[in-house]
Amino acid sequence: MIAGHFGLAAVVKSRERSVPLWALMLATAFLDVVFVPLYLAGIERIIPVPGTHGGYGDGVIHADYTHSLVGAVALAAAFGLVAAIPWGRRAGAVLGAVVFSHWLLDLVVHRMDLAILPGGAGGLPRLGFGLWEIPVAAAAVELALVAAGAYLYWRSALRTTQEPGRTAGSGRAHVVAACLLLAGVVTLALDVTS
Amino acid sequence: MAFIVAVVLFVGVVGVLDARLVGWPRPGSRKEVEP
Repeated sequence: MIAGHFGLAAVVKSRERSVPLWALMLATAFLDVVFVPLYLAGIERIIPVPGTHGGYGDGVIHADYTHSLVGAVALAAAFGLVAAIPWGRRAGAVLGAVVFSHWLLDLVVHRMDLAILPGGAGGLPRLGFGLWEIPVAAAAVELALVAAGAYLYWRSALRTTQEPGRTAGSGRAHVVAACLLLAGVVTLALDVTS
Repeated sequence: MAFIVAVVLFVGVVGVLDARLVGWPRPGSRKEVEP
């Protein structure tokens, strides 16, 4: 799941108007951002499901540090603490929660490959509800998140631009919301055709 | 590939457009939470 995470961040933006959207977008992808260098270093891996080429939803993901339950909590806390320095405790808490929301959404789609402790320590059961085994359903959930995020963002941005004393025209809200929706559709299309 | 494109689009394009165009309240302001 990629696009769905960004859709959820847009939903949060519609409720927490003062938290910068770019920071919410970075927060929602933060576990994967940290995953990239570990993947390139061979510490975390993606193994194609046998009989597939490893396309959309066809990977068993051994991201045992960034995407372990405890690892995700630690990364969320670190992100929230850093964000709280310039933007305050509330924004830090919101951004930390958005970082952790990544793990919750991944829990829905992943096959049972999410470790609880970093490195899969303790041999505890791995988690994942496996929606990726039904790719159409997983893609539909992602599209719904993107659509909901774009709509709620648009509604909130429109209201903001129409507040008394605001100089930004409502057309700006239309433009950004349209870009958000387009970015989501492009991302989802690239992901499902990978 | 899709992930890198997504980060560029959402953080670098949509995020920056949002910050420059919409005029949201700043953190800590009274209007920061949607009524």
